[in-house]
Amino acid sequence: MTEGISPSRLRVLFALFAVATLLLSLRVGYWQTIGRTALLEGATDQLRSELVVEAQRGVIRDRSGAVLATTVDLRSLYAIPKRIADHADAAAKLAPVLATPAATIRAALDSGAEWLYLKRRLPEPVARAVEALAITGLGFEPEPKRLYPNDALAAHVLGFVNDDGVGQYGVEGAYDKVLRGVPGSLIVERDPKDRELALGLRTAIAPKNGADLMLTIDLVVQTAAESALRRAIEREKATSGSIIVLDPRDGAILALASAPTFDPARVASADPEALRDRAVSWSYEPGSTMKAVTIAAGIDTGVVTPTTTYEDKGYAIIGGRRLNNAQGKVYGTTTVTQILERSANAGAVFVASKLGQDPLYQYLRAFGFGSPTGIDLASEASGAVRPLAQWYPVDVGTIAFGQGIAVTPLQLAMAYSAIANGGTLYRPYVVAATRDADGEHRTAPAAVRSPITPATADTLRTMLVSTVDRGIAHGATLPGYSVAGKTGTAQIPSDDGRYLDDAYISSFAGFVPASDPRFVVVIVIERPQTKLLGTITAMDAFHDLAIDVLRNARVQPDRP
Amino acid sequence: MRRPFEARSRRGHAVPRRRHAAGATWEVRTFVVVSAAICAVFLLVVLYLSQATAVATRGYETQRLESVRDELRRQNALLEVESARLDSPARIEAEARRLGLVRAAAVPVVQAEPIAARR
Repeated sequence: MTEGISPSRLRVLFALFAVATLLLSLRVGYWQTIGRTALLEGATDQLRSELVVEAQRGVIRDRSGAVLATTVDLRSLYAIPKRIADHADAAAKLAPVLATPAATIRAALDSGAEWLYLKRRLPEPVARAVEALAITGLGFEPEPKRLYPNDALAAHVLGFVNDDGVGQYGVEGAYDKVLRGVPGSLIVERDPKDRELALGLRTAIAPKNGADLMLTIDLVVQTAAESALRRAIEREKATSGSIIVLDPRDGAILALASAPTFDPARVASADPEALRDRAVSWSYEPGSTMKAVTIAAGIDTGVVTPTTTYEDKGYAIIGGRRLNNAQGKVYGTTTVTQILERSANAGAVFVASKLGQDPLYQYLRAFGFGSPTGIDLASEASGAVRPLAQWYPVDVGTIAFGQGIAVTPLQLAMAYSAIANGGTLYRPYVVAATRDADGEHRTAPAAVRSPITPATADTLRTMLVSTVDRGIAHGATLPGYSVAGKTGTAQIPSDDGRYLDDAYISSFAGFVPASDPRFVVVIVIERPQTKLLGTITAMDAFHDLAIDVLRNARVQPDRP
Repeated sequence: MRRPFEARSRRGHAVPRRRHAAGATWEVRTFVVVSAAICAVFLLVVLYLSQATAVATRGYETQRLESVRDELRRQNALLEVESARLDSPARIEAEARRLGLVRAAAVPVVQAEPIAARR
């Protein structure tokens, strides 16, 4: 057979085979030596998958253990349009279940995308309804969602978690690192069906879940506070308001309500102004509620006593300026106790004049005005107490009755707490304990300082009880309980530095039972429709709230 | 003592072996040894494969059970949320109002000390 083939051809053929064999051998040799690592990595990459295992965000509970915020995996609906036989039919079936127009779903399916979300984080009943449709080409993927079972309740205390999983505002913001935990990782080998190989490589670093938070907030008190605030704002058609309820014995916040409010689960649709916590992140000129602080300073320094008298002419002149009583009332001979009972501006100026500007400034600072209270919530405002060097002579008079100074409702509540508890200013707090894998860590109440002596605090308590029993705050009386408190009406400064003529901020600050204070309550209503009568609404809100709170805490009446 | 490979009649008498049987014995012995070795290897392979298959099956079963466990945990978390929602004081108050209930106007408080003194 080979007789026809020339030897030279055979040699060429042999040479070709030899070269081909040599090249292939070199190629094989290359992959077995130099290229081995790359080849192995490529093969391993096809098998191996590395996943980030997200840590579970901590649960937030109230003081009784009720869930206020928790994270649950909800199912997100995705579609692979190529696998859906009839887009129009699928869209028509999904539309009523997803509460989305069929045309919108159809457009998404026809968009040309290979894979797309139709709706993310579905409520469980909706996910089940979609599942029951059994449409080929649809699937679910779990995605974590922060849920707030009480909807908008305590929204400003809780804050919210944004789409990136970062906590913002409130406790979610202040304790984000604690709540978030540390993610872990999982490296596994998978088969072509994306199942984990039982005999394959498996390297896991377990995630460290976030700590749970136990708040000082009482769900019942919070509900009562929000209900009282809502009624007050509706009645007064007010623009905003806030209520704080706290325990004066240690500074624990029991309720903190702010309006307007928002739903933490639907922040995207919230008015940005509603996100501001008006109890902590907003300051205002407090008005007459500040008279208690001025008189506390006067009594503590000994320049006045509850029975010290002055002749009230309806006004006081200080720094060349005339400062009038509300509605120009003239009271004649008036005791210091009656200054509070009648809320006489001239009387507050009298006490401040005897005190002097430097001691007044020192007492304001000692009561915590002009600096953050240190509450464990994000975005606390510090209020405004101008440095003494910037005071005009008239400022001693105006600040004495709460104008020319800006405070947060929380600062005012803490100052009244100091009066209620015998003279100790505490740092307020909302997180009672954190719970993690290492156990429970409780927050210890922190006494900041004592701005007044226990004797002064006791005297002030008696005077504030008198203000409620016989004075201007009579609307705050409660059957069976002694109440100490003071109303406040303040004008609102305009942008040009003057006060607006017909806009006020009404407030009430008090504590109950006055004989052994368990609750300090501060209520602030901005721009009430009834203007100067807004304090009546504030006292009514206090009345309703205090009854609920005392019943809930089973506090025994201290009066017949 | 009886010699090896000595055949016996039904009555127990020794039967003389034929000469060509020596060659066949070697072949049979080799065949038996090789067959036994193949069988042993086969059994070992079958054993290994069955073990490997069993482990893989258990692995997939474990994964299935893990996903069932995860789903049950998820359902449990959802039920906790639902429970918290139902326990909400605001919801209970609204439901009470819907049922026509009203708040107690006054809550009588009984002093504990006089009662204790009477006892």
